[in-house]
Amino acid sequence: MKKALIVLVALAVVAAGIGWVLSAPTRMSEQQAANLQSGDPVQGELVFWAGGCASCHAAPDAKGDELLKLGGGLRLETPFGVFVAPNISSSETDGIGGWSLTDFANAMTHGTSPDGLNYYPAFPYTSYTRMTGEDLGDLYAFMKTLPEVQGNAGPHELGFPFNIRRGLGLWKRLFLDPEPVIATPVGDGSVDQALWDRGRYLVEGPGHCGECHTPRDLAGGLKLAEWLGGAPAPTGEGRIPDITPVDGKFGSWSATDIAYYLESGFTPEYDSVGGEMVKVQENMARLPAGDREAIAAYLKAIPPVIEATN
Amino acid sequence: MRNARKVAAIFMVAGFGFAGSVQAADDPIATRQAIMASVGAAAGLGGGMMKGEVAYTPVAGKAAIAAMNAAADSFGSFFPAGSDQGDTGALPAIWENADGFGAELAKFSAATGKAMEAAGKAGPADLDAFKAAMGPVFGTCKSCHETYRKKN
Repeated sequence: MKKALIVLVALAVVAAGIGWVLSAPTRMSEQQAANLQSGDPVQGELVFWAGGCASCHAAPDAKGDELLKLGGGLRLETPFGVFVAPNISSSETDGIGGWSLTDFANAMTHGTSPDGLNYYPAFPYTSYTRMTGEDLGDLYAFMKTLPEVQGNAGPHELGFPFNIRRGLGLWKRLFLDPEPVIATPVGDGSVDQALWDRGRYLVEGPGHCGECHTPRDLAGGLKLAEWLGGAPAPTGEGRIPDITPVDGKFGSWSATDIAYYLESGFTPEYDSVGGEMVKVQENMARLPAGDREAIAAYLKAIPPVIEATN
Repeated sequence: MRNARKVAAIFMVAGFGFAGSVQAADDPIATRQAIMASVGAAAGLGGGMMKGEVAYTPVAGKAAIAAMNAAADSFGSFFPAGSDQGDTGALPAIWENADGFGAELAKFSAATGKAMEAAGKAGPADLDAFKAAMGPVFGTCKSCHETYRKKN
């Protein structure tokens, strides 16, 4: 009996030890970090809009130049609790002004803070992990040019067990993967491969479209088999639509329709964009036309998801 | 007793159905949806001309602007208390933040009023004039849909 207890305790200690090791926050390799260099802020501005940074980190009703004041404060109300977008302005005390490029890249691609804590995936590093080092360097350079905003947006409001950041290390092991989601274009082979590749990069990487348009499982990981197949709105009423080429639905939008929607905010039926997508569309409208065409080319040549399970 | 209740229920349902068919105009949800359908059609015509898919004529330009203007001035009257329930894309925010919704309607109305003025009697003379008049009207769609309409 006593022996059994000792074995049990020993097993529990081993399990806890393994859990602790597996949940450790990860970082880039030294080699990867050494290859980074701060880049071109002009290019970085395009990366900034592609990444939608301002949609969460600027004041919720910001327009125009106010979008460049990244004091945070937006409340994302989700089934896991309320996430409050933090200050990522260039303030050294309240924002990320004191971060090195390596700190920045570790946050963006590994969801790990400079002091070694795991970020919650409400910050879409699960998509940003697919970004190139060059884009990260350019974005870093651009964000250095943005104004300092004072003030702390406040802590997340999460219940147990979601308030334990360490546990996210395990979650990241399951769901953080820099590989592309869709390996090759689907269809008759008439796709412009370079355009499609650019679209894939924008959609799966900085654009982080899948974070809302793909359903999640109970653990909060994306169901990649139903990539972009539509999902319940994580923060409110309604449903985020399926944007895969399903006949009679989104499949009836031509590539030109998709690019025009991202530019103007109008659907082929001249309904207007609504909800959170307004901010996304206004970001996309700031990109070069070729990027919107690339997104359209990609969305036309991915597997259709007939009916998402969630 | 149970049967009597059932019969009464059937009569009530039948009665509602009857009332509905006669008094469609008293159904605020159906009315505001009809107005918004005409806005969509006017946007389709206007947008088609802007994109060059439909040939521009001043008469068509005027028709699109006038439909928008009539909608802007009437739409807000069909959101009485209680009409948040039913087959509607309206969000509760319309009633929770009536001032904010009113401000969006006022923007819509101001834009269509100016477009009507620019259109004059015969309608905007050419496509560029039409774009200048209608552009600001189009700009008001999403600022209202961002906050007050359900996602779909």
